[in-house]
Amino acid sequence: MRDDAARRRTASRVILLPLVFLTVALLGGMRVTPDRAFVFLPPPLITLVMAALLASLFLRGRLVRLDAWLGSRHGVLVNVSHALTLIALFFASAQAFNSVLPEQGLLHWMFAFFFLWTLWNDQFSAFDPRRLLRSLGVLFGTAFVLKHMIMAGLSAPGGSWTRRLAGMVFEGLSLGTLDVPAVAPATGYISFFTLALYVIGLALVAPTPDEPGEVRLLLHEASRLGPTERRALREALEEERS
Amino acid sequence: MRHALLHATGITATLVYAGAIVWVYATQPRTFQDVTQGARVAAGAYKVDSARYDTALSLFHRGAFRAARGEWERADPARADARTQFYIAYAFYREGWGRLYHDDALYGQGLQAVDRALALTPAGSLIVDDPDLKMHTAAELKAELEKGRERSWGDLNPMRVLEERK
Repeated sequence: MRDDAARRRTASRVILLPLVFLTVALLGGMRVTPDRAFVFLPPPLITLVMAALLASLFLRGRLVRLDAWLGSRHGVLVNVSHALTLIALFFASAQAFNSVLPEQGLLHWMFAFFFLWTLWNDQFSAFDPRRLLRSLGVLFGTAFVLKHMIMAGLSAPGGSWTRRLAGMVFEGLSLGTLDVPAVAPATGYISFFTLALYVIGLALVAPTPDEPGEVRLLLHEASRLGPTERRALREALEEERS
Repeated sequence: MRHALLHATGITATLVYAGAIVWVYATQPRTFQDVTQGARVAAGAYKVDSARYDTALSLFHRGAFRAARGEWERADPARADARTQFYIAYAFYREGWGRLYHDDALYGQGLQAVDRALALTPAGSLIVDDPDLKMHTAAELKAELEKGRERSWGDLNPMRVLEERK
């Protein structure tokens, strides 16, 4: 039974997780034009920088413990498998940013600055994996709403006169530098699915890959104990060991 | 080693999927049909529609170059057959050829098609053994198309009207 659980955990880590992240990498750059043609945008250089900052955040927030994922205590096959998963995570992060980053114009740079500023500030904050996940959910969610709902709504052709007026005012205020490319509504749905998949993938990443799930639950419960209860627990464990 | 098979499966699946993603981004398919066609080409299972190809060839020999090109485009939608691309380029050449002047736009499209044909034959020069043609290799056709697009004093030579279409 225990062996079965370990096999399932390994399968999810070495097969499911890389496939989830690679799917994010595939869909993150996908756009659908109004004439229903696909366009695949490779990650711009700025998104690679953001992904590198995010990777550093994963390590600092202990969402990924590098020494547990890679090292001489694992065999070659395990190390290769883990390295591929981490590489897939890096490219998924870059493409998740690509998915919510406007393609060109002033907005591209405004969003890029917003992301870089947030990621840079986060480097100096204290994070645990749960807080980090929540923070990333909010970051990507905000960018998604801005790009795929507000901006897409304002730049969509047709619609009511109030919407067109708002679009014109917005364009005028930015001195015509917004330059939002027209895309089909399907692009927003693809982006939503991509981000959801990315967050699910992150939730599946275990800080220490070989650690059983029950241990993590116990550790989480233990972190909520008060000082007296912790001392009692420690004494009980030492008593059992002796 | 525990779960070695799972790790090996994971590595293989990841590499294959990553390769497919790189291929999609490199080839930029615009529709699902492009994806399936491209996959067939990559797997070596792609075949030109021979019936359409033969129809196009007979149209070409009768001088209906535009119609022939249309049929060849439909016979080779993935533009992955060197011989078909050679004939498309030849059809552009023949349609664009004129005794007094050559049509630059058609010659330009012909050059694109012959470049595709050359790119599809990396092993060696493409030779088409058709008695109706006066140029049998893609290299000759490319040179002729390039020559037709060049501007020189020789263009003003009245003897040029005696040149024959190849």
